Amino acid sequence: MKTFDHYDAHSLDEALGLLANRCGKARINAGGTDLLGLLKDGVLPRYPELIVNIKTIPGLGYIEEDGERLRIGALARLCELAGSKLLRERYAVLCEAAGAVAGPQIRNVATVGGNLCQDVRCWYYRYPAHLGGTMECARKGRGPCFAIKGDNRYHAILGGRKCFAVCPSDLAVAFAALGGQMTIVSPRGERKIAVGDFYSPLGNGLADDEIVKEIDVAKAFGPGRQRFLKFTVRKPIDFAIVSVAAVTEEKNGVFANARIAIGGVAPGPFRAEKAEEKLIGKKPSEALAAEAAEAAVEGARPLSKNGWKIEVAKALITRVIGS
Amino acid sequence: MAQPYRYIGKATPRKDGLDIVTGESRFVDDLKFERLLHGVVVRSPHAHAMIKSIDSAGAKGLEGVRAVLTREDIPDFKYGNPRVFRLLDRKVRYVGDAVALIAAESEQIAREAAGLVAIDYHVLPAVFDDYEAMEPGAPQLYEEFPGNVLPLGDPFLGQKSMVEIRTGDVADGLSEADVIIAGKCGYDNLPNPMPMESPRVVASWGRGVEGRDCVTFWISNQAPYLMKVILGAILGANLDVRVFGGPCGGSFGSKLMSWQPMCYAALLSKNTGRPVKVVYSKEEHLGSFVLRPSSRLDIKVGMKKDGTVTAIAGDWLIGTGCYSQTTQAQVAVGCGEAMIALRCKNWSVKPKIVCTNRTASGIARGFGGQELKCALFPILSRGMEKLQIDPLDFMKKNFIKPGDGYLWRDAQWYDYRGISFTAMMDRGAEVFGWKQKWKGWLTPTSVEGAKRIGIGVGVHGNADVGEDVSEAYVRIDSNGSIVVHSCLQEHGTGQRSNGAKVVAEVLQTPLEWVSMTPADTMVNPFEFGPFGSRGTYVILGAIIRAAEDARSKLFEVAAPMLGCAASELDTADGYIWAKSAPKRRVRWQRALFQRTILGYGRFEPDYSLSNCLMSFVEVEVDTETGNLVLQRVVNATDVGQIIDPQGLAGQLCGCLGTAGIDSAIFEETILDSSTGRILNANMIDYKWRTSSEMPTIDNVVFQTPMPTHRFHAIGVGEIATAPGPSAVLMAASNAIGAWLDSYPVTPCKVLRALGKVGNAGNKQRAHTARKRGAGD
Repeated sequence: MKTFDHYDAHSLDEALGLLANRCGKARINAGGTDLLGLLKDGVLPRYPELIVNIKTIPGLGYIEEDGERLRIGALARLCELAGSKLLRERYAVLCEAAGAVAGPQIRNVATVGGNLCQDVRCWYYRYPAHLGGTMECARKGRGPCFAIKGDNRYHAILGGRKCFAVCPSDLAVAFAALGGQMTIVSPRGERKIAVGDFYSPLGNGLADDEIVKEIDVAKAFGPGRQRFLKFTVRKPIDFAIVSVAAVTEEKNGVFANARIAIGGVAPGPFRAEKAEEKLIGKKPSEALAAEAAEAAVEGARPLSKNGWKIEVAKALITRVIGS
Repeated sequence: MAQPYRYIGKATPRKDGLDIVTGESRFVDDLKFERLLHGVVVRSPHAHAMIKSIDSAGAKGLEGVRAVLTREDIPDFKYGNPRVFRLLDRKVRYVGDAVALIAAESEQIAREAAGLVAIDYHVLPAVFDDYEAMEPGAPQLYEEFPGNVLPLGDPFLGQKSMVEIRTGDVADGLSEADVIIAGKCGYDNLPNPMPMESPRVVASWGRGVEGRDCVTFWISNQAPYLMKVILGAILGANLDVRVFGGPCGGSFGSKLMSWQPMCYAALLSKNTGRPVKVVYSKEEHLGSFVLRPSSRLDIKVGMKKDGTVTAIAGDWLIGTGCYSQTTQAQVAVGCGEAMIALRCKNWSVKPKIVCTNRTASGIARGFGGQELKCALFPILSRGMEKLQIDPLDFMKKNFIKPGDGYLWRDAQWYDYRGISFTAMMDRGAEVFGWKQKWKGWLTPTSVEGAKRIGIGVGVHGNADVGEDVSEAYVRIDSNGSIVVHSCLQEHGTGQRSNGAKVVAEVLQTPLEWVSMTPADTMVNPFEFGPFGSRGTYVILGAIIRAAEDARSKLFEVAAPMLGCAASELDTADGYIWAKSAPKRRVRWQRALFQRTILGYGRFEPDYSLSNCLMSFVEVEVDTETGNLVLQRVVNATDVGQIIDPQGLAGQLCGCLGTAGIDSAIFEETILDSSTGRILNANMIDYKWRTSSEMPTIDNVVFQTPMPTHRFHAIGVGEIATAPGPSAVLMAASNAIGAWLDSYPVTPCKVLRALGKVGNAGNKQRAHTARKRGAGD
């Protein structure tokens, strides 16, 4: 790891000022579970001169309901989400997604904001510098996407363009199903963006001088069902190969509402709207679940080695909806 | 058969146990040196290239950098088999190959300096596939090896080595067969032996006591004396090489191939006049160190209805990556191990070793035999299925028995003088519930929705339990304390504690009286090191003999004091007496007045015995997601006599990881086919089982006395990984009702075998599968 300056910020304004001053040569750090690995491996095209620690900013770790919305501070830790009574009772999908991330040591330090903003796990993008040099790729601003002709077994089957890395965040999938939105602050003020719209094939929507402050979710509709399922090779530690978050509500024996998001298959959480449409107004059954699963992956365009992820996604959706 | 032993077979504390759990153990990285420098390696981005020029001015100019060495700054050190691989060459042969060496005041400075070395390459076409490497026009790695094919045979094994399996007449054998299977199968996913502690070393080059140049190494390894021999051969005769082997965070064989980091540290130390530490990062460990060799079989097997194997004939291709140090020896041992596992009169298996542009293959537990048999058993399974033979019956029938024999690594025939393992196998099957669970080939044991249970079995045996030479001294000091001189390094198995334990048993003293010398080559006699399960028979055998020799010498001194012949004496707890008059005792201290007793023990190789391990596995396969979960393992073995029950359990439970059973489930090294880069050189993408996902493991241990040493024991640790992988393939095939013949059994492969994922959109994959010849 190269040398960098380290500064403990005590307010959002102070942190924003430091980011602005360094013109893209500063990075914020909360739990550090993603950033430190990137720095150690020398992966980032621009190595930061300054690390701004935002853990020292007070009052950004809340999980609370406020009128019509659930509000979660960006510094709330994943262990706190996983253990939250409020979430377990009313936003179970968030609870399950947070609890499905990595292992306890990571969840004890990793934050919601960091989980949403973490970098992709593409093994070409992450190839370490000291093992023969990093790989210059489309995501880094120059070069091809090596995954297209290479080993793309874990890459995107939907929505990839120029870069086929997938969004690794479990919480993004749960928030997308809940219709969550992020509040992002910068010297220019505040803006809001839906979690589902935050990601693009070449990176997330956070500018160099921006910080995620909060994620909020409209109060869950009625007494519904929420489920999160994650498929990995190893149960703990691993990032999702495919994950599914579903929020459904039944009235009079039929689906009245349904929101389904798929993770691990696209540059961001993929909202399976065609599957949702299949469900509305119909009686839950295994056959319906299978039909919805087929609809969910309609339009998937696998690369040379990742067609199997379609089957995994279908199985997960069927299980989430059908069980 | 219970023996009235005081310590043998009983759980006794490990001598290093307290230090390990309290963090007091001094591993290489914990050692303190004055003026220590940190060495790093500048590594190639290309899989195959000529180095045109190196400009190290930028790196040399960085504050804190003390040396930047390139090929021109160092002697032309070469090693490998054959000895052509240079420490630093004009040519790089894999991504991560060493180009230059840097020593600096801190690792951070050294790493930063590595980025400042400017290297101009002439990039050459590279070859990564073992078959393609042999094709006409393929890129050539070495002028010395046309067609990228390495010669067979290893001088380490003696004048002759096993270079093929050839006995009987395969044409005759095939004509007797009820079924002939022609098949191809590969065990070519290159799992990493993966010790927890990455390779590391400290070297200090200076003047020795008598003015000769001397280089001292502090190593994390499993064979300090063998390293001294290897390093002596590389560094030259006019140099004293001294090696200290401290506690080691695992090796699983792999770290014997550490001549490169050791020479890097030594040369940087010579150049700077300061001690230098080289520590590989986990990425370097995974991406530029030792992998298991790849293995691909293309054979014909003749089989009779009663399970008799009438002939095995064909080609065995072994991929060794950019060079070989031990691959020829692995081939030799692997051939012998196949003969131990399969009684067959007619063999003709021709191995060929090929090199490609990736990091080198080398030692991993299972040493050759695992590689060969993981490819062989899935082909045999096809024959068993055609003839409806239960694989357990097949393995029981065909594993070596008294009266049989085999060719071993030195190409000599050995008449087997060990025991039959059949009863042990039956007991293992009973504990596993094989009879109830076996429903026939390609038939699941049970089905529940998408989840299917399947079972499989594998077997392995190794005559390296008696390989090579060990020597030891047992010294009894004048105060009665006992010191065992052995160059045995503790690499995690607890074998150093067992060295003290057997001496306490022979001399009948409290365990605390016995200590081991540090594994320092200056004060200890020759020790080959704990490889091939040889620790129990060979290393402990030499130590036991040294203890017996010390005991005899002690009795010779005491005999006149007791007025009888030395042969009539006995001893315990520091007293000596005549067996006929036990009441009249002499204290050791009297016999040892102003005297040191030194016993010597030596073990000469014995290849006439084999160990045996049978592994039964149960897997659950999800037919919708393709996911495979290992539910249960039963290992059955016969060790003659348990020496150390906890150590034995640890070894047997070690069947999973380190390129063992999990090499059939998720362990694999993923090499990018266009750049030659190892894509999963980290512990997230290299799938290594975590402790929270352990299956149930039951071990069945028989104790049928073996004709070995005084305690009739035989080692089994090294082979714990070997029977499992092919058993998993068998179990998964049975679970889903379709053949799987490629390691590891990934969800993708399961879904493809089930016809749920076509080859459309997977063209590259299908091409590779055809090349590897999956299926028969």
